[in-house]
Amino acid sequence: MVNSIENTPFEEALIRKPPVRRTGIGRRAVFLFALICALVWLAPFYYLAISIFKTTEEYAHNDPLSLPQGLTPILSNVQQAWAQANMTSAFFNSALYGVVGAGLAVFFAAMAAFALARLNFGGKNFWFMLIFLGTIFPFQMYLIPLFFGYQHAGILNTRWGMLLLYTAICVPFPTLVLRSHMSQISREVDEAARMDGAKEFRIFWSIILPNCLGSLVALFLLQFTWIWNDLLFSMVLGNRPEIRSIMNALQVFQGNYAATGPNVALTASLLASIPPLAAFALLRRHFMEGLKV
Amino acid sequence: MASADDDRAIIEKLGYENLRRSERALRRRNFRIALLFMTPAVLLTSIVLLLPIAFNIYLSFTRWERFKGLDQFGGLDNYRLLLNHPQFETAFTSTVIWVTASLIIPVGLGLLLALMLRGIPMEGTFKNIIFLPRVLAPTSIGVIWFYVYAPHGVLNSALTLISGDPIDTGWLYTDQTTMPAIIATYVWQNVGLVMVLLLLGLAAIPTDPIEAARMDGASSRQVFRYIVLPLLTPTLLVVSMLSILAGFGAFDLLWVMGISYPGQRTLSLSVYMYFVGFNKGSWAYAAAIAVFLGAISIAVTWVQALLQARAERLRS
Repeated sequence: MVNSIENTPFEEALIRKPPVRRTGIGRRAVFLFALICALVWLAPFYYLAISIFKTTEEYAHNDPLSLPQGLTPILSNVQQAWAQANMTSAFFNSALYGVVGAGLAVFFAAMAAFALARLNFGGKNFWFMLIFLGTIFPFQMYLIPLFFGYQHAGILNTRWGMLLLYTAICVPFPTLVLRSHMSQISREVDEAARMDGAKEFRIFWSIILPNCLGSLVALFLLQFTWIWNDLLFSMVLGNRPEIRSIMNALQVFQGNYAATGPNVALTASLLASIPPLAAFALLRRHFMEGLKV
Repeated sequence: MASADDDRAIIEKLGYENLRRSERALRRRNFRIALLFMTPAVLLTSIVLLLPIAFNIYLSFTRWERFKGLDQFGGLDNYRLLLNHPQFETAFTSTVIWVTASLIIPVGLGLLLALMLRGIPMEGTFKNIIFLPRVLAPTSIGVIWFYVYAPHGVLNSALTLISGDPIDTGWLYTDQTTMPAIIATYVWQNVGLVMVLLLLGLAAIPTDPIEAARMDGASSRQVFRYIVLPLLTPTLLVVSMLSILAGFGAFDLLWVMGISYPGQRTLSLSVYMYFVGFNKGSWAYAAAIAVFLGAISIAVTWVQALLQARAERLRS
């Protein structure tokens, strides 16, 4: 892991200022355009920010753009959102799927990448393609076979079933990234360790893995976010109330049968987005540094 | 009479063969170890990803529907149905509109922002603001915008404020506005990512030729057209491919925001496939729709690879 104060390429891209000669009216017009874009982009966040502080009554009887009358309603909004969507269980499920699924997937991907990048054997491309092939197809192609396969195996609507899918679907991309990262590490290190009689697993565990820590963290956060945000598979394979993920649970606020006001629904959707927001805040540092393909 | 040279040759030959034998043994040993390391990944991806894809292709040729007909071979029936089904046609048209809009608008706007925001005051703040929506969960975005577009929602309220007349449109109920409204949300969500990817592409362009061209009196437009754009083409191709693939697979926003729209099932092929399979139980037909989507994905990936190779060749 690099702990330098230098910016990552991602941040570099965000703040880089190459010499641009713009003067007078052009400069002012561009700034105005940027300002308008920024305001338009922020408007939904403003709406979100004011709505979570309103009671259902207040929301229904006032202009949706008006400022809230007080700050306390957010407590009851959180309470209602929590109860309506059964968030204790939904958050637990999503965290379980995200942490365990992404953790296992990145670890298995690292093992496979180690074999593909550091060991000398024939038919590497075949094995790589075998692992990677599954991701070039759209998700729609998995849905029906997985639904009936899971039903047949008795793991439909179970946490095990969800974990199995999420782990598998998050293996190929980290394998691709880690394979190229691991092949850039100098060979002398593990040749020397091999001379010393280290077993391959020890080379993997105590030399290669620590060298890729940055990528491992970044990939874990990316895959965690993907699992956390997934709606489609959760709807198809995990629809029992007790094992429902948070994205699936958010749907109780949708449609014409919603029992609560928009203020509660908006509070719930903000709560559900906090973990991916946090993951991104952590990821920003590693965004590109860890993903040099 | 054998000379010393011949002896040396024999020794070398023997040594070489021993070496080759030991190398083969080493590779065999390596393969066994490698297999151990790859086993979890290979088992998971083949059982949970590849097997279902193969089974899905098989299903698309059966008559499976509502728990019967799994063993009946229907040939190309499902594909014939797909080509003649009016709902499929509507869903396909919507998907084409969706993919086109979600390619052109975010890439166009993203490129514009990437180029324009450079060197203005508070540049970093602007870029962060544009990127911000990308960090929220798509389902959350769907819920938020569902209420933005609601009849008594914030958009109507803002339009009323601007125009002076009371406006009360159900943006996500009516035929003409539902798709454009969801596309607008999608643009809001994705421009930031496209912009960052393009900024990374722009940052990789060497500044020397640009400076040289400026010295020679080239206008900014000429610099962009003849230097920046050709060098940015590979990035644009990758971004376009990612946009197209994401467009064909888009589900979350259409599902969450289209929930109150009567024509939701035909908003896109991915929603239509879900509806046909999991609401109507026409499994075999739904499998055929999935295969159709898969074929498109492969084709897009393939075309992109070809164009990328051409762009690389042109550059060198």
